[in-house]
Amino acid sequence: MSRKSAWWVFLVLLLVARTTFAAVPELTLDIKDHLFFPATIEIPANTKVRLVINNNDPTPEEFESYSLNREKVIPGKSKTVIFIGPLKPGEYPFFGEFYPRTAQGVVIAR
Amino acid sequence: MFLNAVILVLQEILEAVMLISVMLVLTNQLRRYWPDTFQVRTKWVVYAVLSGTVGACFYAWIMPTVSAWFDYSGLEIIDAVMQFGIIGSLLGFCYALNPAVFQANAPTRSLIASIFLIAAVALGIVREGSEIILYGAGIIGQPENFTPVVLGGLMAAGIGISSGWFLFYGLVSLKPRHAFRAALVLLALFAGNMAAQGVLLLTQADWLPYTAELWDSSNLLAEYSVPGQLLYALIGYEANPSLLQAGAYIVTALLVLSSPLLVLARAQAQATSS
Repeated sequence: MSRKSAWWVFLVLLLVARTTFAAVPELTLDIKDHLFFPATIEIPANTKVRLVINNNDPTPEEFESYSLNREKVIPGKSKTVIFIGPLKPGEYPFFGEFYPRTAQGVVIAR
Repeated sequence: MFLNAVILVLQEILEAVMLISVMLVLTNQLRRYWPDTFQVRTKWVVYAVLSGTVGACFYAWIMPTVSAWFDYSGLEIIDAVMQFGIIGSLLGFCYALNPAVFQANAPTRSLIASIFLIAAVALGIVREGSEIILYGAGIIGQPENFTPVVLGGLMAAGIGISSGWFLFYGLVSLKPRHAFRAALVLLALFAGNMAAQGVLLLTQADWLPYTAELWDSSNLLAEYSVPGQLLYALIGYEANPSLLQAGAYIVTALLVLSSPLLVLARAQAQATSS
């Protein structure tokens, strides 16, 4: 196989990979008044999930979870995306690092 | 809000403070044993902190825009680029001091080494400092939280800077060759931590594939506990790392450990024992 055709195969594979990624289940989480809605999200176990977070507050928040190994700043009045999993069945607490007293939630993988 | 601000700010500044301390020990040793060759003044800290702070303000300002890039994974991608930039700068520093050519053209090599040094520390400050600035900017609109957050932030800065002094004086009070080696090992672990974090960011953005969790020591030593946080800042302790994270950590740490800086450490040990 020539180098050029190898590149084409690589590109096609990459596109196939992108479309499979697009089939990832998506869930939405809202932040309002330093609270997560819903505070409990159920996701399928052993599956990668695309978590869309809408911060409706004017203040920034930081999504953080030690058990999920995730940390991300979400500026005020903005949207963000975090990929989580695949996870073993179980409970994975998360919190908003900027307002941890109120912003609490849990991901349940079943 | 007070305690929350202390923890948050401390988490962000500890890494930068640790890096500065370790690099101060290294530059201190280099200057002591190669005064004619290594011409880097301690002023590099000032340049690094100033440019890092300006950069952090700018990054915090454009963060809402960056956040929407790459299908809302912009922060992960740009942060990962910064992480790998820090590693590249640290390796650049190590290789600029290659003893085989270090003696020749000393002023140029010292200048290159200091530029890499400033870049590494400044990028570290941009990465962590921008989150503090964003957090602080959000608080300004809330008069009831303003005082506790400012006091908490100041207290965290105090604790962070004192731990840095503690590490610096702890290391320089060792025998010189031990100080050099300990600083080199800490630098290698720090670089490994940066690589593991970079990999984690790219996994979070789905740019790197999921890899199996290697172990889970969260029952043994939780990441959110005080020793867990300190170990995280110092050597990048992670309770449940993935295969790819651990691999990146080990490879990067070995790259720093096997760099020309090790040859300098050996030369320094010989010079001090004779």
